[in-house]
Amino acid sequence: MTRRPRPRGLRARLLVAFVLVTVLGAAAAAWSSAGSARTALVTSTQQRLTEAVTGRIEAVVPELRYPPDRAALDRLRAAVGSNTLVTYEDMRSVGGADTGLVTRELRAAVRSRNALVTQRITAGGRPWLLIGTPVTITAPDGARSPSGIEVYAVRDLAGVERQTDGLTRSAVSTAALALPPAVLLALLASRSVLRPVRDLRDTARRLAAGDLGARLPVQGADELTELTVTVNEMAESLQTSMTAMRRMQTDARRFAADVSHELRTPLSTLTAVVEVLATAADGMEADARESAELAITETHRLVRLVEDLMEVSRFDAGTARLRLEDVDVTGAVRDCLRARGWLEEIELTAAEEIVLRLDRRRLDVVVANLAGNALRHGEPPVRVHVSASREQVRIEVTDSGPGLPADVLPHVFDRFYKADAVRTRTPGSGLGLAIALENARLHGGDVTAGRAEGGGARFVLRLPRDRDPEDGRAGWDV
Amino acid sequence: MWCAAAAVLLAGCGVQPSGVTGGGEAPTGVAPGVTLYFVDAGGELRPQLRPTGRLGTVSDAVQLLLTGLGDSDLRTEIAPTTTPRVVVTSTPDVLRIEVPLTIDDVTPLGIDQIVCTALGVHVQGGGSRDTRAQVRFTLPTPESEKHRRCPVTG
Amino acid sequence: MAAILLIEDDPLVRRGLQLALSRHGHDVRTADTGEDGLREFRSAPPGLVVLDLMLPGIDGFEVCRRIRAEGEVPVIMLTARGDDFDVVGGLAAGADDYVVKPAQPTVLDARIRAVLRRSTGTSDGVRVHRDLRVDSTSLTVSLRGEPVMLTPTELRLLLTLSRAPGRVFSRQQLLEEVWELDYLGDSRLVDNCVQRLRVKIEDGSGAPVYVQTVRGFGYRFGPV
Repeated sequence: MTRRPRPRGLRARLLVAFVLVTVLGAAAAAWSSAGSARTALVTSTQQRLTEAVTGRIEAVVPELRYPPDRAALDRLRAAVGSNTLVTYEDMRSVGGADTGLVTRELRAAVRSRNALVTQRITAGGRPWLLIGTPVTITAPDGARSPSGIEVYAVRDLAGVERQTDGLTRSAVSTAALALPPAVLLALLASRSVLRPVRDLRDTARRLAAGDLGARLPVQGADELTELTVTVNEMAESLQTSMTAMRRMQTDARRFAADVSHELRTPLSTLTAVVEVLATAADGMEADARESAELAITETHRLVRLVEDLMEVSRFDAGTARLRLEDVDVTGAVRDCLRARGWLEEIELTAAEEIVLRLDRRRLDVVVANLAGNALRHGEPPVRVHVSASREQVRIEVTDSGPGLPADVLPHVFDRFYKADAVRTRTPGSGLGLAIALENARLHGGDVTAGRAEGGGARFVLRLPRDRDPEDGRAGWDV
Repeated sequence: MWCAAAAVLLAGCGVQPSGVTGGGEAPTGVAPGVTLYFVDAGGELRPQLRPTGRLGTVSDAVQLLLTGLGDSDLRTEIAPTTTPRVVVTSTPDVLRIEVPLTIDDVTPLGIDQIVCTALGVHVQGGGSRDTRAQVRFTLPTPESEKHRRCPVTG
Repeated sequence: MAAILLIEDDPLVRRGLQLALSRHGHDVRTADTGEDGLREFRSAPPGLVVLDLMLPGIDGFEVCRRIRAEGEVPVIMLTARGDDFDVVGGLAAGADDYVVKPAQPTVLDARIRAVLRRSTGTSDGVRVHRDLRVDSTSLTVSLRGEPVMLTPTELRLLLTLSRAPGRVFSRQQLLEEVWELDYLGDSRLVDNCVQRLRVKIEDGSGAPVYVQTVRGFGYRFGPV
């Protein structure tokens, strides 16, 4: 058994259903009218044939000798027409060719009912009408009694069949005629049904694309309207919860920004006075001096943390701006390492002089962060390699330490993520890599973390070369 | 699917065989002879079967009636006529019998003889029992216009 | 070492910075509002002003503008952040340099000393360039005989550029020579100072004659 492929689209299905219904309806109507016409035709034909037989019999029998002899039977047979058989008791007229079709059933009915009976049969592929009747004797007062004479006539109904076939054909062709207008109507109907469906789809797409204000006009009161109302309600609640979420997010960011801002004032004081403490430390006792040194260190850490927090807040608020200038990348990297005294520990290799339009301070932040991480968490030798292709500039920082575990890799750029829960005393703020990534993105580039060939960690900063120099916010869109 | 539907459709097209069904009254009209009406001694109409071997037509029967009585104890109240030519025309309701007689040639009982004989043959030949007879005489008379029924058979 | 006027509204920060800068040898007077600061400034002009931009009442920008209008005393701003609107606004108001809060006293001290050094000459005589006369010994400048009043930073920039007329200085070089800043110095310091200098010595009608821009590289003096 082969399964016919079902039509897929809503439009196709509507079309098929509509055409099917229309054609079937037309066919049924045509068929039933053809059927009743056929019945009427058969009935009237039958009646005509029967009346012809009785008419001929009645025209002849008053002149017929009774009780009849063989000649009388033959006369009656001749009067009724060919394919007729006339019997009287044991006598039979010389029968017509097809009188053998007369059924036993019909003879029995003629005798028992003492009235004219008919029967349709099919023989040799043709329909026939059998007419059987006794001839009765009527007394002058109207009482009737059988005379013993019986007439059987066989009539061909092939002509009627041809006519009914014609009726059927016209029914079929009527149904066929209904097909093109049905298709047309189905197309029109499917358009009117599918337009709201398409509107729904478009609105759903807009919602999916983030246009939470998208709504559908509500018209009418059908099932599609209910769906429309439901979609609108869904969009409404989605929008409400998204708005609430954004407000919460904004509130949280503003809180972080406010907190770091507020922390800065006391930190300014602390920063100022710990230096006074430091200069006085020489004259202190050992434990007092150590306390002073701890205070100084922690103050500097706090300052860095607050600075990083504020930097992150600027990224979150979308207020971070690039100050672009033409920078010799290799030179800038070297300056960055030299300024921090790392040139001795880090092996810097560069292919050629690469000039790129970028924010020098932000590049410094990224390189210092990646190199500082490698020095702190990895093992020497630490390598920084600067290279360039036509599309981008790559700054690759690798170390020879144990590398980053697989479960840590996806989180290294998360804020305050620390791979080792115990190692809480690292000098970093926990925001360094997050800030490095944001800075790279602000340039339209990115930073990725992975494993170096030797097994250490490898961080790669990629900066695109063909950026639009006027666009200071490439890659940063809130 | 379409082929199956078409097959079902076409199968119902032809003339279907049927069982035996009634087709109305059987034809009638055979009779061993013709029944004529005469008058008996008591002045009543009496049927008399003439064994002609067939029913024959209404005009045959009326002519036979006009030719008179055979050997019988009945009598006729129709005057004998030499030219018993009778013309019968029929409409759905009325048999019009033109007889070669004047109103003086028959008594009312004689008219009944003609009416009963004609309507009897008419009924025996399959005609309606409600048919009336109109006996037209050769000379104008109001009797010619009357539509009559047979007092014996109703 | 220098008489410094510190204008800062937060009392603890003010006191902390005063303590730290005093420890570095400066004579520090303080004021807690812009109005108070200007009053102090007028009663006894200091050698240098350290100015917090976020002040109640008249803000730091306005204080800076008024100080600049009254003389050539150098101003160092304390800003909230290094790359925002505060810096641009402060430099446009005439500040010579800026330090991002929370300021480390060592850093602040280094900048103060760098600014003050600009007022000390290298004494290589008097040079005349067309209408402009630059005396590096007395550290005076005059245009068509009229003395031109320059802040120490402007003067140092002019001296640096005019010492080698025609030579192109990159912003980086100027930051190192004039501001004594490292490689991460803010080039907007240079651009702002050049603009202020031009207002004072160029005639303003056409292209600059003395301090010319070399696009993509930096600035040069002349050629006249």
